[in-house]
Amino acid sequence: MQVAELIEKDLILIGATAIEDKLQEGVPDCIETLSRAGIKIWVLTGDKMETAINIAYACNLLNNEMKQFIISSETDGIREVEERGDQVEIARFIKEEVKKQLKKCLDEAQQYFYSVSGPKLALIIDGKCLMYALDPSLRIMLLNLSLNCSSVVCCRVSPLQKAQVTSLVKKGARKITLSIGDGANDVSMIQAAHIGVGISGLEGMQAVMASDFAIAQFRFLKDLLLVHGRWSYIRLCKVVTYFFYKNLTFTLTQFWFTFYTGFSGQRFYDDWFQSLYNVIFTALPVIIVGLFDKDVGSSLSKRYPELYKEGIKNMFFKWRVVAIWAFFAVYQSLVFYYFVTVSSSTSQGSSGKMFGLWDVSTMAFTCVVVTVNLRLLMICNSITRWHYISVGGSIVAWFLFIFLYSGIMTPYDRQENIFWVIYVLMSTFYFYITLLLVPVAALLGDFLYLGVQRWFFPYDYQIVQEIHKDEADDSGRTDLLGIDNQLTPDEARSYALSQLPRELSKHTGFAFDSPGYESFFASQLGVYAPQKAWDVARRASMRSKPKPKPNKIN
Amino acid sequence: MCRRIFSTCGVAAVRIVSGKMVLSFYLFTQQSLPACKPVLTPGWVIAIFLFMGVIFIPVGLVTLRASHCVIIHSMVVEIVDRYDIDCVPEPSRMDKVSYIQDDSIPKNCSRFMKVHKYMKAPIYIYYQLDNYYQNHRRYVKSRSDKQLLDGQKYHDTSSCQPVESNNNRPIVPCGLIAWSLFNDTFEFIREGAELKVNRKNIAWKSDRGHKFGKNVYPFNFQNGTLIGGGKLNPEIPLSDQEDLIVWMRTSALPSFRKLYGRIEKDLDVDDVVVVNLMNNYNTYSFGGKKKLVLSTSSWLGGKNDFLGHACVFVGCSSLTLAIIFMLLHVKYRRPYGDMSFLPWNRKSFSG
Repeated sequence: MQVAELIEKDLILIGATAIEDKLQEGVPDCIETLSRAGIKIWVLTGDKMETAINIAYACNLLNNEMKQFIISSETDGIREVEERGDQVEIARFIKEEVKKQLKKCLDEAQQYFYSVSGPKLALIIDGKCLMYALDPSLRIMLLNLSLNCSSVVCCRVSPLQKAQVTSLVKKGARKITLSIGDGANDVSMIQAAHIGVGISGLEGMQAVMASDFAIAQFRFLKDLLLVHGRWSYIRLCKVVTYFFYKNLTFTLTQFWFTFYTGFSGQRFYDDWFQSLYNVIFTALPVIIVGLFDKDVGSSLSKRYPELYKEGIKNMFFKWRVVAIWAFFAVYQSLVFYYFVTVSSSTSQGSSGKMFGLWDVSTMAFTCVVVTVNLRLLMICNSITRWHYISVGGSIVAWFLFIFLYSGIMTPYDRQENIFWVIYVLMSTFYFYITLLLVPVAALLGDFLYLGVQRWFFPYDYQIVQEIHKDEADDSGRTDLLGIDNQLTPDEARSYALSQLPRELSKHTGFAFDSPGYESFFASQLGVYAPQKAWDVARRASMRSKPKPKPNKIN
Repeated sequence: MCRRIFSTCGVAAVRIVSGKMVLSFYLFTQQSLPACKPVLTPGWVIAIFLFMGVIFIPVGLVTLRASHCVIIHSMVVEIVDRYDIDCVPEPSRMDKVSYIQDDSIPKNCSRFMKVHKYMKAPIYIYYQLDNYYQNHRRYVKSRSDKQLLDGQKYHDTSSCQPVESNNNRPIVPCGLIAWSLFNDTFEFIREGAELKVNRKNIAWKSDRGHKFGKNVYPFNFQNGTLIGGGKLNPEIPLSDQEDLIVWMRTSALPSFRKLYGRIEKDLDVDDVVVVNLMNNYNTYSFGGKKKLVLSTSSWLGGKNDFLGHACVFVGCSSLTLAIIFMLLHVKYRRPYGDMSFLPWNRKSFSG
């Protein structure tokens, strides 16, 4: 300090520079949407506490209504001890302080927890305290406290601490964690979480290279999670449960046959039918569903972020869901087996001739393939051209295969069990009536269940589908590529400005400047202060829902 | 219910210029294919059930007509007669197995079948076996289709074990299925005159024409110590041995019937048909039953009401469900497409 005082004398002020480091556009909106979706958001930053709190206010993570718990190492007590310089004593004292603070906050939080409509809680902790709070003895308290809070802001954290906090939540709370960052100091955090997302951009590509997913801007996280993540979950559940169902149906139909063969193990179906069932006759439709199924469109997914909670609660892959599929698989297999065998126990057609084992089994197999493919169409929420092609194509492929397979006699040593079977079958009226009746009887139960479920116990996404049933879907592309307007640019701008939310809070995300103050003083002096461009942009990226709180400043 | 949804975007115009393929590829990879979004409204549920009822009840009724026709002469009539117990004379009833295996005892038997409804020609004669597992795994594989076509030229008949060869000479046709050929015979007499039984064309044409060789003759057949069934005439080629062909089309269930022949005359009500049968076949060792069936046939087949009843049942239950849903729709109308039904909008929702 003294040397500085000696040197810095008689200097001439030339100018001042300022660096604008503003938030990316769309960040507050994105964060608010994600918290509506049931995702808890924590901020881990290397900035100092004031900046971090400002940013959190700008992002809608903190607001004045929340109860904030601040655990800081800038208190007087700690500073006193630090001045004394004894490292061991500093460490012990800070640890004691942190423990006391945590306990106090935790007790207060418990109180709020038991009251139904208390304010939301927020925790703000800085890096030095975090170092002691992550200690095994205090870790549990920290975890309990932070899980009760709806936002957590950690400032002055080092990259290692970022990773430690992420692991704490991942292993301690056993929740799924996602970390998103854009710099090299975020790499350890990205790798520690379940899902790491890197933002490619100004700070280079290190985060991107370490991450599982890379996006270009922070606001695309909304799309990634609410649209593609949600669709991916639904598609996975559908594909897996459908796969089990179709194989269960197919196998159980054979299973009932074993009771009638003296338990000798005679196969019901021909070998080739069994091998190709999963490869040709029922494979492609389920892949198409896994690629293209959407329960609601992308714009609706973002409009109703609460739909994401269905995934958090794992509503589509519970044991109950699997049990219902299994029940219908059993029901359908009974329909297939008994309808086909009982109706073929007497002669077929006016020629009086009787069917053999392979005729009956080919008939049953045809019914299985047709029914299982039609069942897939029943679980689709959106049916594209490819669905029709694949379902129709699979059924046609089965018929082509059986025409070919039963039409040729090969010189190889195989038992010609299936020779001419399908032509024999198709020469009887029995075949056509059975092919009409059996799939319908089998799907009757499923259709009834779907109707009742949708009517009386609808899922959230089904209600959203009903609300927006008659709208054309813009498929989300338009908001990425620009919407064209019918207004002139000036009209559009003034209309847009008038739609912006009014300035309500002191915190704007910038350390020293606030348009709230400026417009206050301007109105006092009777001077017109025009809107600042950066302020307009900032307000535009906030959610445009008017807050009920009265404006204290203006 | 379904709407064809197309996305509109200014950029699409640029893409179409550079080729429709690029646009289609773009739609495919960007998950924005035009799609139909079916939403199952209550109206659709009711409509579909009504539609199914309307389709299936008539189909079921038409199918039932096939066996229960009001027009007398088109009815399907079936007479069944179990004869395996009654055809064993009283003294041998204690030990039926040794009775049937004793070749010195004559096995003929007379049965009386009374016709209770008018039966229009052709009348099909079936023999029905119960508790006979023609679908047993080792039985089903015990045959050689190549040998049935090529005869003794074909040598790899290992699947026919243990009935592959006898005294080092191959058996044609080999295998347990052929070995256990059914050999009861039936003759029919009405009012003293014999009813001619047509035993041609009882097997499926594809079997006769393509699975059994025209130049293959039975050889060394049923010559072993253990006799399993009937003998074959070694001078008739296999493609003309229709009994064997019918028998070798193995059945699916343990209780089955197979076509024996046809009677080409009509049978009137109250006719008594005398059946002279030879009770050769041994079903007594395993508790099997033998029955003789006379049946007429319609366009759908024999006397089987199952399909008709099932169609009518499906149709009726669909109609019932449609009515139930209509009543429920009137009574418990859920506000359809109502925003306030969303769980996060409901007042009692607590996060």
